[in-house]
Amino acid sequence: MSAYRVSRASQRINEKAPLTFRFDGKKYKGFAGDTLASALIANGVKLIGRSFKYGRPRGIVGHGAEEPNALIQLETGGHTVPDLKATQVELYEGLSATTTTGFPSLNFDLKGLAGQFSRFMPPGFYYKTFMGPAKAWPFYEEIIRKAAGYGRAPVDPDPEFYDHLHHHVDVLVVGGGACGLWAATLAGRAGLKTLLVDEQSEVGGWMLSDARAVIDGKPAMKWVSERLAELKSLSNVTVLTRTTAFAHHEQNLVQAVELVQDHLPIAQRVATTPRQRLHKIRAHHVVLASGAIERPLVYGNNDRPGVLTAAAGQTYLNRYGVAVGRKVLLLTHNDASYDTALDLAEAGSRVTLIDTRQRGAAAWRLDAAKKAGVELLLGYGIAEVQGGKAASGAKLVKLDPSCLTVTGKGPTLSADAILSSGGLTSTVHLFCHNNGRPYWNEERLSFVTPDEGRQGISVAGAVTGRWGLGEALAQTHASVSAMLIGFGRNPSSTCPVSEDQDIQPTRRVFRVPDGKPEGHGAKALVDFQNDVAAADIHLAVRENYRSIEHVKRYTALGFGTDQGKLSNVNGFAIAAEALGMPISQVGTTTYRPAYTPVTFGALAGSHVGDTFDPRRYTAMQSSHVSRGALFETVGQWMRPWYFPKGNETMHQAVDRECLATRNSVGVMDASTLGKIDIKGPDAREFLNRIYSNAWSKLDPGKCRYGLMLDENGMVMDDGVTACVADDHFYMTTTTGGAARVLNWLERWHQTEWPELKVRFTSVTDHWSTTAVVGPKSRAVLKKLCGDIDLSADAFKFMDWRDGTIAGVPARVCRISFSGELAYEINVDACYGHYIWEQVMEAGKEFDITPYGTETMHVLRAEKGFIIVGQDSDGSMSPIDLNMAWAVGMKKPFSFLGKRSLSRSDTTRSDRKQLVGLYTEDPKVVLAEGAQILSSRNTQAPADMQGHVTSSYHSAFLGRSIAMAVVKGGLKREGDTVYVWAHGKMHPAKVVSSVFVDQEGVRQHG
Amino acid sequence: MFQIHCPHCGATREEEEFSYAGEAYIARPAKPEEATEAEWGDYLFMRKNTRGWFWEQWQHTAGCRKVFAVKRNTVSYEIAGTWTLAEGKELYLKESEA
Amino acid sequence: MANFQPYLQSPLVNFNLPAQTVPADASQKVRANELPLLGYIVLRGELADAAVAQAITKATGLAVPAASRFSSGEAGVLIWQSPDECLLVTARAAVPALLAACADAFAGLFAQAVDNSGGLTTVYLSGVEHVTLLRHLGVYDFESVEAGDAVSTVLGKAGALVCRVDGDGVFLVIRRSFADYLWLLITKAAIPYRFAVAKLPSAGKSPFLRLVDAGSPAKRPVAA
Repeated sequence: MSAYRVSRASQRINEKAPLTFRFDGKKYKGFAGDTLASALIANGVKLIGRSFKYGRPRGIVGHGAEEPNALIQLETGGHTVPDLKATQVELYEGLSATTTTGFPSLNFDLKGLAGQFSRFMPPGFYYKTFMGPAKAWPFYEEIIRKAAGYGRAPVDPDPEFYDHLHHHVDVLVVGGGACGLWAATLAGRAGLKTLLVDEQSEVGGWMLSDARAVIDGKPAMKWVSERLAELKSLSNVTVLTRTTAFAHHEQNLVQAVELVQDHLPIAQRVATTPRQRLHKIRAHHVVLASGAIERPLVYGNNDRPGVLTAAAGQTYLNRYGVAVGRKVLLLTHNDASYDTALDLAEAGSRVTLIDTRQRGAAAWRLDAAKKAGVELLLGYGIAEVQGGKAASGAKLVKLDPSCLTVTGKGPTLSADAILSSGGLTSTVHLFCHNNGRPYWNEERLSFVTPDEGRQGISVAGAVTGRWGLGEALAQTHASVSAMLIGFGRNPSSTCPVSEDQDIQPTRRVFRVPDGKPEGHGAKALVDFQNDVAAADIHLAVRENYRSIEHVKRYTALGFGTDQGKLSNVNGFAIAAEALGMPISQVGTTTYRPAYTPVTFGALAGSHVGDTFDPRRYTAMQSSHVSRGALFETVGQWMRPWYFPKGNETMHQAVDRECLATRNSVGVMDASTLGKIDIKGPDAREFLNRIYSNAWSKLDPGKCRYGLMLDENGMVMDDGVTACVADDHFYMTTTTGGAARVLNWLERWHQTEWPELKVRFTSVTDHWSTTAVVGPKSRAVLKKLCGDIDLSADAFKFMDWRDGTIAGVPARVCRISFSGELAYEINVDACYGHYIWEQVMEAGKEFDITPYGTETMHVLRAEKGFIIVGQDSDGSMSPIDLNMAWAVGMKKPFSFLGKRSLSRSDTTRSDRKQLVGLYTEDPKVVLAEGAQILSSRNTQAPADMQGHVTSSYHSAFLGRSIAMAVVKGGLKREGDTVYVWAHGKMHPAKVVSSVFVDQEGVRQHG
Repeated sequence: MFQIHCPHCGATREEEEFSYAGEAYIARPAKPEEATEAEWGDYLFMRKNTRGWFWEQWQHTAGCRKVFAVKRNTVSYEIAGTWTLAEGKELYLKESEA
Repeated sequence: MANFQPYLQSPLVNFNLPAQTVPADASQKVRANELPLLGYIVLRGELADAAVAQAITKATGLAVPAASRFSSGEAGVLIWQSPDECLLVTARAAVPALLAACADAFAGLFAQAVDNSGGLTTVYLSGVEHVTLLRHLGVYDFESVEAGDAVSTVLGKAGALVCRVDGDGVFLVIRRSFADYLWLLITKAAIPYRFAVAKLPSAGKSPFLRLVDAGSPAKRPVAA
């Protein structure tokens, strides 16, 4: 047993299960049931970190989610987690943790020196000091980042996994203290589907810390066990421990993270169990029994290691069997902390209780304290804690009855631990995440929730400001009974009884006066994690920040991993005093998720790695893999990019694929194009409205290229549509645009033209499309197809035919995205693999070459065919794209986008227009996105004329080609422009964007 | 994340199944060619962007693909109701007159 | 012409499920397997229109289902999708005849049948934790799905149609191109539940299982 271990009847640690762990490399002992924090305190470890700004030494302050200082890095390698609160890390055998602060080391911290000059580092110091020169900022940043900050993000992959689980329940109870347990019991008994979540390793809440509490005449923890047993016996109730509800969203969606395996030694974790699980809970009704957290008082050097909240002192003692000190000073303004003093005295510590109130607590408590040997100092406050890396004592001052001024000197007392209680702060976070507002209760000195809760939310217990167990249970009972009536259930149970003792009113104190003007005495910290002192808040107000939200942002009050759980109310109160306003008027800052930090792993769940986003495959996937394809992602589809042979580079492979296709035959998987079956008596009329070109005269058996504009007249998609019958069409869209176009059609049809009789059915996945491309494509098809007359006269360019390919029913379209003779074979996708392999077999004698998206891009660019989204960007009209031929201005119905084509802005002559570019040096392949200038002059402001949209080496032409958008480009053919990219200037000539076969002979072959 | 009642499926589903489809009941000018620049610009670009109750369209993209009308409060996110486009239009027009 | 020997491949062919399939047993808390190569026909028409409803019943022998429900019978399963759409899941061999029957029955009506047999597949998901598994993957309240329900919703980031015939499991009708993704997601989420690719139960009266043809399911020759 270490010097600080004591044995308590109430303790929840298992003394028969000793554990060893390491902190900063040093070995220590603890017990099962300890947190890392309780074990460190038990081992006398006080210095845990250095503060963010001034490098002040810091130790453990709290005992749970409120902890601002004790941020540790748990484990190493793939398992490491930064910035966990030592107060929330359950101890396990072999645990290894390190401090997250201290540069270069915890014991000698450079910022500690800066702390000596802290009066020169007021709020806004960084903004004010590192103003310029702008160039120097990266230098400042590097130093500041190294010195500041806490833990290190993991770099290795996480060997464990995470998942999500969705719940739909009648009642979600947040908090497993006495009130939460009672709420769940009532809901459970009423037969409602109930889920209770609690943050800690076991339910009980404050009952785990308060050894004196009694419910229904029995020790509170006995009552807690009975409740838990009852809940577990009910099949309609689920209890999740180690589960923090961290966010509340619209319509009672609550997110909670369960630490499923973090409390187990790494070697004992089950590989088939997730490390953490994110619960997404949709509840008809939420009962918030989130309790309250004790805040410290604000006084000089109140951030020294060894200074804790009184609640922490009581918790470490009663729950973990650890006395935080052997000689303890306890500063309070309320009755409740007397129990802490009594408990510590009972455990053998010497306790001096300093009450800011002249008369102290209720008489029975004063008596009890005296009897237990507690020394009482009434009407005193602490002016300044003494000691450096550990508190060694405190200098006291005598206070006036209002506690606003110092009336005299007090004694200087030695101590190895100093506790303080500034009263409780209700945990209203979840109530407020979705626009709920707490109100200030001056009697209870806390922002609390209104008793009536809000729509769909009941509040229970300390969250309403009821600190007495009896009054809290009574309020819970009433609130939950009302909820049951809302569910149409009959509340029949009787309320558990706990007698609340007489208490003396609390004296309103936040900042304990030290007799000096603010800023002249020892630094009195409000927010430990962000190094915000009382004086900083006064300074912010002097600098005219009036809104508490602005004070927060200027000083950083309430930011960080603790989200101001200890500091906010003290900060609001000090700001209120500085502003000369009541706290109720100052209000609170906005509470936002997350209540406590959540790992990215839990948020991502199984949406990582190969299931991060859907990877969509065509039926030919295994064919592509077996031929060595490399893939690129296009709108979630995995498309073959190119098919390198041997040691080919991408450039070599693409050159080979292009030449093979232009000179003989290539084959491409075009299955990813969106396909929509459009049918109905008004199908043709609908197409006329939705496409810019005309559809009235397209006969069955024919295909047409269609251009789709948005209502602003800009190109949004394109594709070929086939006429199947007079009332039946088969539309293709771009790969990435398939879902967008289907929804676009539905929306126009449903919202604007519901009278048109037409329906759209997505058949994207049904059809598998093999594009056979090149002068030998007809010869390949001839080997596979006996029932379609493939001759040039019978089956013309832009015709389609139904027939049989390799024994399979197929729809063959003679269309081309390369300018070559080409056929697209569409079959039921279950035959897709088969047809692809048949085409490869039939094409063997022509050295048929599979190609991917890169070659497709080069071939289409050689023909000047655009790719929507690459050569256009949502601000290009068909006129800009030199595609006026695809706009049927004479169509009777004013098709989508038509009116916009005559808007003054759309008809400007200096709009960027699509042109081709030939670089002066044919070997130069311009960078896509490169800026285009009219002259070599790059001086700012440069005369930017446009940019390169597509750029490739064309093996067929033996030179580079590029497509670009240039201001007024359609009238600039023959001009020389200057293309700037990567620090180089390349002259280029504006040419037609059709580089190959301008007459279009090849595709008609 | 909201839950939205789809009037076509007759079921309340999570927002993940739906896509937002903008302000409801923006009438396309009957004769766009006759619309002035200002009128056409107003139709194209100007939206009410109401703070408070707002009529908007949602599409049940993962379900029946139908577009329907939702009256939603843009401050509290409360949903007053959902209707088919035709049903909603009557209510919308009545409210607009009031 | 060469002597062609066409074969069909199901969307999940690359997982080679037949080779992984093991007998079902109670230790597998989540089981899944594909019902490969079924026939799928999308029926479009105003279901509330009695003439359309009658025509559908005439062509398929199946009653038009209520919203978010399915009906079943000799021809297979008819699933409600929207007020103007149903999905008929049937045996692949029955597709051509059913398409022809629909074309006949729909003559003169604003209704149509669209073959989508290449575009979909069905996965049977069962085991005592199969509902938990669905709760891992999607936001829908899967505990409320009753026999006869057909819910179009989202699993992960892909759409799926969830149909329950009985308490043992659900049939997921999913798109071909998302099948790989959903299968991976199912197998990941099922890690805690002793997942197995289990032999499909004997068809019995199950309207889905009856549709699986005999023979090698994933890769099967058909007559040229």
